[in-house]
Amino acid sequence: MPDQTTQQELNDRLAIIERMIAEGRRNTESWGWTFVLWGVVYYAAIAWSAWGNSTWAWPVTVSIGVIATIAIASRKAAHQPETTLGRAVGSIWMALGISMCLLFPALSLTGRLADPHVFMAVVSAILGMANGASALLLRWKVQFACAVVWWLASVATCFGTDAQSMTVFLAAIFLCQIVFGIYAMMAGLQRKRPASLDARSA
Amino acid sequence: MPDLPELNPVVHGRLRLALLSLLSGVEEAEFTWLRAKTEATDGNLGAQLLKLEEAGYVSVEKKFVLRKPQTVYRITDSGRQALTEYVRALKQLLGPAATM
Repeated sequence: MPDQTTQQELNDRLAIIERMIAEGRRNTESWGWTFVLWGVVYYAAIAWSAWGNSTWAWPVTVSIGVIATIAIASRKAAHQPETTLGRAVGSIWMALGISMCLLFPALSLTGRLADPHVFMAVVSAILGMANGASALLLRWKVQFACAVVWWLASVATCFGTDAQSMTVFLAAIFLCQIVFGIYAMMAGLQRKRPASLDARSA
Repeated sequence: MPDLPELNPVVHGRLRLALLSLLSGVEEAEFTWLRAKTEATDGNLGAQLLKLEEAGYVSVEKKFVLRKPQTVYRITDSGRQALTEYVRALKQLLGPAATM
């Protein structure tokens, strides 16, 4: 076979291997929508609790967010290949969700969440940790920048006044959830461009 | 001059090579995902996957997810070894030009 195979064909085979291995390792499904969804959930909960002054604001909006995330993710993930990297990143976010869904209702019910600075600082720190771990696994500098923003917001909300802390928290949500989510969705769409291998396939 | 290595004809097909390469980077993949990545037709993709399965290079599992049938493929140990040997042979044939 090597005698009849041209150099160009061999290079073509090598290129196929490189491209397909890269495709397989890449998580082609964009998860940017989850960032946007949760950014909207946070804004809705903050607005409702600020103007409506309701204790149900966070439990209701977060429950809607969880249900929407599970419903959309289960449909999208059904056709995705299983990879160790994908499972690792998914585990981080799932663990974050469980931690938040257990911690904050418990703190709220026991009346230990009276200081909004603590709430904002802890949420920011947890989101910084999850974004940082995910960014390091994926080697994604933009997401690591989001982690840095969350970590800075976590510290800033401890020192600022109520208004300053809320402004920092809202700005971090806008940058790290809405803007980053839209950016991730656009980056995901740009990657969906496979080259056909059907011709000369056998 | 050293003997040039033979290229495994089962692995050498473009689509089969692409499928093995794709499967080498994931734990398992569904038929529809492989079709999207290769842009192959259902018939051709099924035929090439069957050849890989007959060679013992991939394993297939049919299951139901959310009450919908799914056909899931995995690369086997011998498939991974065949791909590794193919890459080694390819590099040897290409000589210093190979940069992978």
